[in-house]
Amino acid sequence: MNDKTILLVEDNPDDEALTLRAFASSNLVNEVVVVRDGQEALDYLLGTGPFASRDTRIQPQIVLLDLNLPKVNGIDVLKRIRADARTLTLPVVILTSSTQERDRLAAYRGFANSYIRKPVDFDQFTAAVQQLGLYWLVLNQPPPTATTGF
Amino acid sequence: MASKSTTITTKVMSAIMVTSITVLLFTCAAFITYEFVSFRSTMARSLETRADILAANATAAVAFRNELDARELLASLRKDPHIVDACLYDKDGRVFATYPETAPPASFPTRPPRQGYAFESSHLVIFQPVVQEDRWLGTLYVRSDLLAINERYRLYAILVLSILGGSILLAFALSNSLQKRISKPILDLAAVVRQISERREYSARAEKRSDDELGFLTDAFNDMLAQIQQRDGSLRDSEARMKAILDSALDGVITMDHDGRISAFNPAAERLFGHARSTAVGAVLADLIIPPTLRERHSSGVARYLATMQSTVLDKRLELTAMRSDGFEFPAEVTITRISQEGPPTFTGFIRDITERKRAEKEIRELNDQLEQRVIERTAELEASNRELEAFSSAVSHDLRAPLRSIDGFSKALLDDGREILDPQCQGHLTRIRAASQRMGLLIDDLLNLSRLSRTEMRRETVDLTSLARQITAELKQTQLDRDVIVTIEDGLIVEGDTHLLRVALENLLGNAWKYTSKHPTARIELVRANTGAEHVYLVRDDGAGFDMAHAALLFRPFQRLHRQTEFEGTGVGLATVQRIIHRHGGRLWAEGTVDAGAAFYFTLWDREPA
Repeated sequence: MNDKTILLVEDNPDDEALTLRAFASSNLVNEVVVVRDGQEALDYLLGTGPFASRDTRIQPQIVLLDLNLPKVNGIDVLKRIRADARTLTLPVVILTSSTQERDRLAAYRGFANSYIRKPVDFDQFTAAVQQLGLYWLVLNQPPPTATTGF
Repeated sequence: MASKSTTITTKVMSAIMVTSITVLLFTCAAFITYEFVSFRSTMARSLETRADILAANATAAVAFRNELDARELLASLRKDPHIVDACLYDKDGRVFATYPETAPPASFPTRPPRQGYAFESSHLVIFQPVVQEDRWLGTLYVRSDLLAINERYRLYAILVLSILGGSILLAFALSNSLQKRISKPILDLAAVVRQISERREYSARAEKRSDDELGFLTDAFNDMLAQIQQRDGSLRDSEARMKAILDSALDGVITMDHDGRISAFNPAAERLFGHARSTAVGAVLADLIIPPTLRERHSSGVARYLATMQSTVLDKRLELTAMRSDGFEFPAEVTITRISQEGPPTFTGFIRDITERKRAEKEIRELNDQLEQRVIERTAELEASNRELEAFSSAVSHDLRAPLRSIDGFSKALLDDGREILDPQCQGHLTRIRAASQRMGLLIDDLLNLSRLSRTEMRRETVDLTSLARQITAELKQTQLDRDVIVTIEDGLIVEGDTHLLRVALENLLGNAWKYTSKHPTARIELVRANTGAEHVYLVRDDGAGFDMAHAALLFRPFQRLHRQTEFEGTGVGLATVQRIIHRHGGRLWAEGTVDAGAAFYFTLWDREPA
């Protein structure tokens, strides 16, 4: 389980702390890598900028992507992820406050794997993160690794 | 004409003359013939009488052969100069006395007949018997010349000729005056005809001189003239009118014969093209008013028409390019019509300068384009403001909720992590903080939903309200299985509308009914249709908490509630949402209620077309 990392793309430190707390309370032991804006997320995934030395053959098990992000917004990050062969099949779950139809549509059109709204009630939020982790990290069969698949 | 009139006079006169002279000649010839015959017989009888007397006197002389007496008797013939000679024969036929005495007896005919007369070539010869008491004694022979007849003939000739001459003169004079009665009216008529044909004066009239056929002819002619004058007048009027129309027409009117030459050119055409009528008429139309680049098409079009008699341009409004005398080309609306339907065709064109119209059309087009541009701009502005609204909604949705989540999340974290050190009162405070932030989250969601209702596009389809309501109430029952609620939904409530919106409306109405009956051990909820006249009114009714009608006006205001939060949960957006949906369906929504006896919500659909 340890090699299955989670990439959390979240600019709000409160949300980051609460999300990590929710993961902790769900007994998920996977490493959670946190990046704070869209550009950083792309750098990490595609091995550019500060992450130039990272081995991009190793990709997270799941990306939790907020939509309202500084620099490059969530939808554009999603499009770039889907445009690159290395991350084309990467499971991406949109985790956001917005329930705007426009956002939901854009996310699914960009081939997001799931769209989850962060509830205000922290109990509900914790429950959502628990289910999410259980589903994507345990239940869901990931695609074959990008290097062999493509 | 003069020779002709002479001919008529001559013809009439010669007819009269020939007739009268012929009659005269026949008359004279008959008279002369009669006279000739009767004069000869008279002459013969007279000579016979004389011979008879002489023969009676000569009886004795013959009986006694007394030559002397016989000679003396014969000598009495001397008184008549026409008697050429005479003799007496005895009963043996021998001449014994002659007249004149010297005439030889041999010159008299031998063997004389006893009695008779005969006309010889130039003499009348008589043999008269000399008889005494029925005893024939001898014969008297008398020969007379015919000079008397000749004299008579001469006299007759003079007479006949003078009568003939006089008659002819008289006939000429008479016929000359009589023929005028016939020829004069004809000549007068001819003169009138000449006058009319030379001067076209249809007002002239021939004078009627008699009531005969000529009079009738004159009348008929005058009558005909009157008709011609009338028709000429109306023709002139009509031509004058036509000319006035053509002259005053604002459109150029040009007539072209089949050779392509201009035969008429009205003043408007003069103004339009800058050519004078005098130069235009007779000129080739194509050279005058058709731009050089289009002449080929024009002439081939005319040729094709003349060959096939089929045209695509006749009797239609065409927009063509025309050319002025200075070579300037302008847009023209042209209608070409074929005028004469028999014989070689002529064409009339009605031409209008449409420069101004074209300019106006262009202006309208430009204005239209500007308008469209403005619409596009306005639409873009509207879209921009919609986008702003979306951005605002998005911001509200995202940015307002995020702090709430922090408040709730960290309150929870504090409750969890500080469980050991926080007293129950502090924990109570934190619980309140969490409840308040969660409620605010609901308010924000409802607010966003309400604004979304107004923005989403509405579809119009057949909606089964009965089925929708049954689904909703089934879901409500699932949330609280222990409740005893009797739900009545009328069958067959089929309406027109947007399924999604009507579902939201029913969810709110039935959800309210469900909520406000929750304090009662048993409850009834209904959805029925009440018909008031032609109008369908739909009704959601419950026997729950109800409301005071005094506050009914507040019901549909957003965030306005008639119950405390501790009594019934809610944000106060539900009925405002229902009202907005019903309004979008062109309907009305109203409510009746009694405290603790229930509430009824009525709505209609499509009272009017939605704005």
